[in-house]
Amino acid sequence: MLRFVLERLVGMAITMLLVSMMVFVIMELPPGDYADRYAFRKYSGTGVSVTEADVQAIRVELGLDQPMVVRYFDWIGGIVLHGDFGQAFAFETSVVNVIGDKVWLTLAILFTTLIITYVISIPIGIYAAVKRGSAADYGLTIFSYLGLALPNFLLALILLYFANRWFEADIGGLFSSQYKDAPWSLAKLWDLVAHLWLPAVVLAWSAVAYQIQTMRATMSDELNRLSVTAARARGVPEGKLLWKYPARLAINPVVSTIGFDVNRIFSELPIVAAVLGLTELGELLLRAYLDLDMYVAGAILLLLTFIIVFMNFISDILLAWLDPRIKLGA
Amino acid sequence: MSDVTPDKLNTADERERQKRLKYYSASQWTLIWWRFRRHRTAMIASAILGLMALMGVFAEFVAPYGPTTRDARYLDGPPQIPMFCDQNGCSWQPFVHGVTTQRDPVTLRSVSVPDPESRIYVVLFPAGEDVELLGFIPTNRHLFGLDDPDAKLHIWGTDSLGRDVFSRTVYATRTSLSIGVLGVLISFVLALMIGGVAGYAGGMTDNVIQRGTEVVRVVPIIPLYMGLSAAMPKEWSTTQVYFTMTLILGLFGWPTLARRIRSQLLSIRGEDYVVAARLAGARPSRIIGHHMLPSFTGFIIVDLVISFPYMILAETALSFVGLGLRPPTVSWGVLLQEAQSVRVIEQTPWLFIPAAFVVVAVLAFTVIGDGLRDAADPYSEAR
Amino acid sequence: MLSVKNLSISFDTDEGRITPVRDVSFFVPQGKTLGIVGESGSGKSVSTKALMRLLPGNAKLSPESEILYRTKTGHELAIHSLKPSSRELGRLRGGEIGMIFQEPMASFSPVYSVGNQMMEAIRLHRGVGKGEARAIALDMLNRVGISNAAHRIDQYSHEMSGGMRQRAMIALALSAGPALLIADEPTTALDVTIQAQVLELMRELQQDLGMSMIFITHDLGVIAQIADEVAVMYLGTIVERGATRDVLRAPKHPYTQGLLKAIPSINTLQQRLNPVPGDIPSPSERPSGCPFHTRCPDAIAGVCDRKPPREIAVSQTSAVRCWLHDQDARNAA
Ligand SMILES: Nc1ncnc2c1ncn2[C@@H]1O[C@H](COP(=O)(O)OP(=O)(O)O)[C@@H](O)[C@H]1O
Ligand SMILES: [Mg+2]
Repeated sequence: MLRFVLERLVGMAITMLLVSMMVFVIMELPPGDYADRYAFRKYSGTGVSVTEADVQAIRVELGLDQPMVVRYFDWIGGIVLHGDFGQAFAFETSVVNVIGDKVWLTLAILFTTLIITYVISIPIGIYAAVKRGSAADYGLTIFSYLGLALPNFLLALILLYFANRWFEADIGGLFSSQYKDAPWSLAKLWDLVAHLWLPAVVLAWSAVAYQIQTMRATMSDELNRLSVTAARARGVPEGKLLWKYPARLAINPVVSTIGFDVNRIFSELPIVAAVLGLTELGELLLRAYLDLDMYVAGAILLLLTFIIVFMNFISDILLAWLDPRIKLGA
Repeated sequence: MSDVTPDKLNTADERERQKRLKYYSASQWTLIWWRFRRHRTAMIASAILGLMALMGVFAEFVAPYGPTTRDARYLDGPPQIPMFCDQNGCSWQPFVHGVTTQRDPVTLRSVSVPDPESRIYVVLFPAGEDVELLGFIPTNRHLFGLDDPDAKLHIWGTDSLGRDVFSRTVYATRTSLSIGVLGVLISFVLALMIGGVAGYAGGMTDNVIQRGTEVVRVVPIIPLYMGLSAAMPKEWSTTQVYFTMTLILGLFGWPTLARRIRSQLLSIRGEDYVVAARLAGARPSRIIGHHMLPSFTGFIIVDLVISFPYMILAETALSFVGLGLRPPTVSWGVLLQEAQSVRVIEQTPWLFIPAAFVVVAVLAFTVIGDGLRDAADPYSEAR
Repeated sequence: MLSVKNLSISFDTDEGRITPVRDVSFFVPQGKTLGIVGESGSGKSVSTKALMRLLPGNAKLSPESEILYRTKTGHELAIHSLKPSSRELGRLRGGEIGMIFQEPMASFSPVYSVGNQMMEAIRLHRGVGKGEARAIALDMLNRVGISNAAHRIDQYSHEMSGGMRQRAMIALALSAGPALLIADEPTTALDVTIQAQVLELMRELQQDLGMSMIFITHDLGVIAQIADEVAVMYLGTIVERGATRDVLRAPKHPYTQGLLKAIPSINTLQQRLNPVPGDIPSPSERPSGCPFHTRCPDAIAGVCDRKPPREIAVSQTSAVRCWLHDQDARNAA
């Protein structure tokens, strides 16, 4: 088991290294560089005319005149060695300051979404498989098709609209206005929880649809196994039998795709966040892209990917723990 | 008496045998088609998608007006539904009421109100704007419109600039579907090359490629697309943006298919016929293309079809937040960009009609993909 | 102990309704072994699954079907009319009737140890605690000849060899102390030497525990070794039944005769095997009249393909369904 874990950790490191290179390329893609944008932003509208020499001075000061490889190592070295993700020019402070506790908010959204996803999709998938071919099964199939087809941001708009109509409440955002800039307290935490469900439901929407289908398919396969008939022939009561035998194995594909779900959630997060006015990493990422604040964007992209890679790792470990056959093979 | 029965039996048997023979000797494609045809929902989905595609191809003819043509007399106007009857009686020909502009007594803004006394008839193939069908057939005929050349018919209403939502949706259908097709094609070619090399070469090459694939798979895809499209210079032309978008979408859509191709290739690498071809000195590209790929073309097609929705959804999402296609190009996402707030749903809900197109197209592709998968999977009959 | 009367089973499938088991009746005497033999697809598994109500949802018993069972405590149980979720059925499965399947690998869940699954059954039916259940399981594993049982009990089925797995499966089926064991081709997936060992084991266990047994196989040779009574099934009907010795010594039905010829023996090993010619038709294309007439060397044209034969007693213990042995009815027709 230890070897298994170590192997995965090394794999993780290599993947992250490659990802960081790709992210760096993306950061470098937009025309112009940080110095150009910084100078433009700082002096535009002030009447001061910026010369190419001024820009060059900033460039030299920040080390941006170095070749790309050197800059990459500067950047990644800063992150790994000092936890320094660079400067956020739009905020005129360091990226770390801008990101701040948004990481925790993002994780809160992520885990709420994951919990909602699995709490809904696993039992429903099992139910659909057991009642295969029934009206309920068809209904669920149609629902899950819709879940895949209706984009999350539209769902978010629709939910916002109905919340407005029925409760006359503005349920967007992550905090009520009185807590927005307040320091952390129990009341603020509670306020967060009260606001989390909407983004979580919206983000869980397609993951639920997808996992219901996975669960239904694998559960149908598992239900047909001889080991299930054999357990039934030993008199194991039906309810216990379903969970202990087929469901226990049918869950494996769901566990093995946790990382995939996290990926999907993060993929949809920026747009959902924009519609719902969430103030976390996804929304910040979108803003950073629109402002071409590439150090912020790069940092967030790297962080989100790291979380995904880490969750992949967790899912591998969970799977090895759930399925004794894997442990033996490794 | 006993010589009648066996005879009859024999001919019936014979017919049965012929039927089976036909079944067994039919080509893989015929079989897939037969099975697909039995899948009713998939057939319906194909028909819907076919209609959408036709709509896109003949957009200039189907849309009564251009995507940016404004109707200053009808801003934020609700859909005009052709009717047969009004307070003045009925007619055989559908008509709509004309609109007049009035000043709102409270806000003093000018608003358009229907005039119940004026009838303008809806006709087929009226003369209208000059367009070039398929890009080279000049015509001024459109599928439908009003018989009064000065009035405009907005069956799905207009946006705040008075542009016809129906016409815009028709043109957007062309853009969104074509981006999907091009994106899928690009990722198909990439998948073929990457998966082909990995699966054919195996070993170290395969390992390296697998690492690379892993990287593309772990980065959240829409933020990645966003990063790439954020890099597009603001001054680029709409055409440049359009092709860059297809490239971006295609550039990262290959991992799933590449994986499939790789693992299938790896699994048949040692088969006799492949080894024989290799020993006979055939080139790798020929071995892959002629001897290996055909054995699982069915699966490749299924994967291609189900990757469409991802392309369409990604394009919609990117354009929706302003990081994809840009006006004046119209795509489903660009149209939905105008419908970003709850206020829009309340005041001009018809601006959401393009959303229905997204949902229906994605649904259709998914259903067709499922139907094809069932048809391509020889074991699906056992289920 | 168990008697089955007029059992017919049909399935609703996409291609329509098929009836792979028709009008089957048999009786399992206390402490004896009934062998059911027939080619694959003749409905052996389906009919025995019906005894435990293990058929899938698209299966239906005909209204005349009757399955009567006398429990260990002497109660008469009408299995065919038990409610699917009833307590009686739960107790019957495993506690009264145990079952072994053809593929021992697939019969075990891969994610629980052998001991876990045994103890589950023991605790369900014997109402004992964890420790005692483990002791019973260990004892059972020892009994079926698994060496180092204390170690094996915590192993998973995929860590065992084929023969050992089948032994473990037998131990599992017997762990709750059933009075009747249904063994559905338990030796088919095993190679010949192990097959002989497992057969030997089952015969021993049956004698020691005083169980009744239904032993299913497609091999008359196996029947000769283990069964007291035999029922020969063809396309869902029992075509011949009786005491094993009588049936094997003087088979009456052409199908039994064909099966008997197909057994490889020292004398016939040199020659080509002598299987029954032709393939068994699928249940959806069941021939009219006697289902065997399409493959029967002695079929009487105009009789066998017209009407299904009735069951004729040929001795005190045996009966056959064949027009060749029903002179009276043939004359009457
Ligand atoms: N779940 C089912 N649905 C439809 N038909 C079935 C099902 N199970 C078995 N059958 C039919 O019953 C026939 C007899 O099957 P089975 O009892 O397994 O044969 P045997 O055990 O004698 O080899 C098969 O040919 C099959 O057509
Ligand atoms: Mg069987």
